Amino acid sequence: MAVSLLPNVTTDLQLPIKTIDANLVLYIVLVIVIAYVLTYLLSFILVRFSERIGWYRTSVTMIIPLLKLLIYAFALYYIIIAVIEPSLTQIVAFSGLFGAAIGFGLKDLFADIVGGVVIIFEKPYQIGDKVTIGDKYGEVKDIGIRSTRIKTPADELVSVPNFTLFSQPVTSGNAGDLAMMIVIDLFIHPDSDAEKAMKILKEALVTSKYVIISNKYPYTVLLEDFPFYKRVRAKGYVNDLRLEFEFKSEVTRRAWTEFKKAGIQPPAFVPPSTDKGGQSPASR
Amino acid sequence: MAGEEKAGSEGYLIGYERELKTIAEAIEQSGSDTPSHIAIIAEPMGGRTTIVAEIRRLYGDRVYYLPLEFVIKQDALPDFTCLVNDIILIDNCQFLTTRVIGGFDVLDTFLRMQITSKKIFITTWNAHSWQYLSSVMSIDAYFPTIVALSKIDTPVLKQIILTRHKSGEIRFLDEGSAERSIFFSVIHRTVRLPFTSTEISVPWIKLNFFVMRSGLSRKKRVQISIEDIIFEKINRISDGNTGVAILLWDTSLKDNTISLSAITENSYSISLDTNESFILSVILSMESLHAKDLSAIAAGEMDIERVLYRLVQQDLVIDNAGYYSIAPFALKHVTDYLRKTRRLW
Repeated sequence: MAVSLLPNVTTDLQLPIKTIDANLVLYIVLVIVIAYVLTYLLSFILVRFSERIGWYRTSVTMIIPLLKLLIYAFALYYIIIAVIEPSLTQIVAFSGLFGAAIGFGLKDLFADIVGGVVIIFEKPYQIGDKVTIGDKYGEVKDIGIRSTRIKTPADELVSVPNFTLFSQPVTSGNAGDLAMMIVIDLFIHPDSDAEKAMKILKEALVTSKYVIISNKYPYTVLLEDFPFYKRVRAKGYVNDLRLEFEFKSEVTRRAWTEFKKAGIQPPAFVPPSTDKGGQSPASR
Repeated sequence: MAGEEKAGSEGYLIGYERELKTIAEAIEQSGSDTPSHIAIIAEPMGGRTTIVAEIRRLYGDRVYYLPLEFVIKQDALPDFTCLVNDIILIDNCQFLTTRVIGGFDVLDTFLRMQITSKKIFITTWNAHSWQYLSSVMSIDAYFPTIVALSKIDTPVLKQIILTRHKSGEIRFLDEGSAERSIFFSVIHRTVRLPFTSTEISVPWIKLNFFVMRSGLSRKKRVQISIEDIIFEKINRISDGNTGVAILLWDTSLKDNTISLSAITENSYSISLDTNESFILSVILSMESLHAKDLSAIAAGEMDIERVLYRLVQQDLVIDNAGYYSIAPFALKHVTDYLRKTRRLW
């Protein structure tokens, strides 16, 4: 039985490949260019549109990667049918063989593409999120088929291969929301009035021009005692994650101005900062 | 506030019967040991003055009335315990706080005094300020009865406005039936092109909501009076805000005659930075703030004079002898903008 089936399969897998001429090459180039321009235009329009709608900014940007995937899938489909004019059975059979054959040669590239598909559907992060991937922290500016572009606090645009998703932990500071929790630590002298410091820090937080407070976005102020200092910690949400550093700076500045008026002193021993230049919320 | 003041001063109460009943029940049910404190919440020009005037009229000498007109200091808070009145009515309680470090101390003192008092406290609050204070310090926990004044419907607005005039005194000028006999009409609207500052005029379909909602047949549509169309337009522009609607009516009325074309709608193209949005939200929440208080809120974090200039220049804020408030006709647009940009929660 197996012997009789094998010749049939062999016959089915013979591809009706067209003659490759200048027209076909031009057609393929045109399809790729149209797909590229279309994805670029869609991204441009949707990103600009998202900037104007306030609360729902990330809801709009999250559909950009999906649209890109669809456009490139269609482009690939049109290229394949232009080259080999396959039947559905042949497409299914050869997509496996094609993937396997190229996968050996371009393993990393295909791993990145698979990573991109996983990012699109599983949504560990979205465009506009503040994420930490490996040791890189910043705002996701674009999720491409091969890589994710992150803008760091130092204004660097870092391309992180999508495959990193499978090998490194990924942290999203806001999970698709526009608001993001910020932790602000102030260290005071152990003899200072901690209760007063907590009240001042709380009021500096809730009167900030960047804060958002509701049942969904609560805030809290905590005190912890250490051998040589006390740590007053405020946790609150910034209304737009792009303003996280401005928020932290404003609350800190205003709180310290009031601390000085109230006679609250900084500690003699300053604990070493774990903040790597604003590299990661986890480190803060 | 002009419209609202006028409505309140004439001693009628239309559209707030349900709210007044709730307040009356809360007052009646308050025991001497467990007074049920009341918070009346409304948007700026949203009818608080009318309700307050009615409470004062109904309860007369029982009421001690304290209207707050600016941010008050700790020592300016009166000692309510020595008063003989059993109802303390405090208007504009948003002035008990200011959005600075240490700006909640007066409110804290007031709330402590209120919960230990045997008197009934009726307080009125700006809705945005109330929302902020509820989020920040759970102020709603101090008030068992919370009365939120809702937006008014067109029939109620018509009743409120016409009560201010003698029967048959107002002439509603009919400029043609085109707009009221069809579901929509074509108008030309100026539209700003996206990502540029260019404005173009484009044909626009304007829906006639009243006719659509009425669901009337084509034959019956012509029976809709011009009066109803006019009040529908006023209510739509004012977004159901009583004070703004009355002000719009007064502005549009010429020699006791009003027409659809006389009711004009201002358009705003709001573009503000973080500081301007913040100060605008503070003014909206407080309703009226002196430049000194705004300077204290800015606290060196911004150039407050520049911010105020920009807000006034965009016709969003008006300067009344050093007191800044939201321009009445900009109220809806400002509120929508601040909600969109997450300045109002």
